[in-house]
Amino acid sequence: MSGSESSSQELANFIGITVKGLGDSGLGIFLHRWENVIFSLIAVVFLSLMAYFAQRNRSFVPERRLQNMVEVLVESLSNFVSGVLGEKEGRHYLPYIGTLFLYILIMNFMGMVPGMKSPTSSLNTTVALALCTFIYVQYTGIRRLGMIGYLDHMAGSPRMPEEKGVFKIFLILLFIPIHILLFIIHIIGEFVKPVSLSLRLFGNITGEDALLYVFVMLGLSMFSAWKSPVGFPLQIPIMFLSLIGGAVQAMVFSLLSAVYISMMLPHHEEVKH
Amino acid sequence: MDANTALALSLPFGLAIAALASAFALGRAVSAAMDAMARQPEAAPKIQVAMIIGCAFIEALTIYAFVIAFLSMAKIQAVH
Repeated sequence: MSGSESSSQELANFIGITVKGLGDSGLGIFLHRWENVIFSLIAVVFLSLMAYFAQRNRSFVPERRLQNMVEVLVESLSNFVSGVLGEKEGRHYLPYIGTLFLYILIMNFMGMVPGMKSPTSSLNTTVALALCTFIYVQYTGIRRLGMIGYLDHMAGSPRMPEEKGVFKIFLILLFIPIHILLFIIHIIGEFVKPVSLSLRLFGNITGEDALLYVFVMLGLSMFSAWKSPVGFPLQIPIMFLSLIGGAVQAMVFSLLSAVYISMMLPHHEEVKH
Repeated sequence: MDANTALALSLPFGLAIAALASAFALGRAVSAAMDAMARQPEAAPKIQVAMIIGCAFIEALTIYAFVIAFLSMAKIQAVH
């Protein structure tokens, strides 16, 4: 989807204004085309700078506010991931899921800063993020289960470790059509996951931004009789809603990524008696 | 009825139906989770995580309708 058809539903951002000023020159076209990428790079730079300043001359007992804040953030993220994946696996997958959470959170909140735009309100950004999760989940499955184990998992475990002897061979032959069907269903399911992840994030953030736009326009039209350049701040309550919504959507995206990864990990339930 | 009128009438209506069904489902899910959390406050974090996953899946259906409405909105041509 091109960004141009949805741009009328969003608040003006500084790149959009620059593009309007530049017109059809080369830089204007470049900026218009790379708008979302530039805004997501701003989020990346912000997060990188925060991480750099938080770890610079750090102390074992944190005295500075920034280090304290980042430590609380990382610890709560670690607890959150460990709650889904378990203590050992949680620490291993924390860097990916935690980064995903912080990055999406910052991108969602950027839509509320005047002159900025949420890069997640474009389908291109969210599809890229969802594809990252999709590839990482498949990689995890192949790496942790092995190629045979991965195919076995996709076919719904046709190997039946609990049965023995001739009966086992008979059962495996009996269930072959079911496992072929299960394999197809699993593959469709794997491909639907990134679609639903990206559409959910895109739809929510676009909806919030469009709502903000509508309320800003309503506030402007309240004072339009006096030709006032500023409107009544009707969007303030919607901004609180956007704060909650943006945080929840960032959490849902990272939580679902964690759940998808945990579904690919080898199961530890089978305890030998 | 031409295509423009049909789209303009059905898009908000379709979104409203999706939102209605999803609101019912969310209400049931959240009320059950609240019940469970009130009975067992010590299990609240686990219930909360499961509830948020479920809510995300329920809400996604409305979002699909919203995305469809959003994409079809471009097909409505302005009549001057």
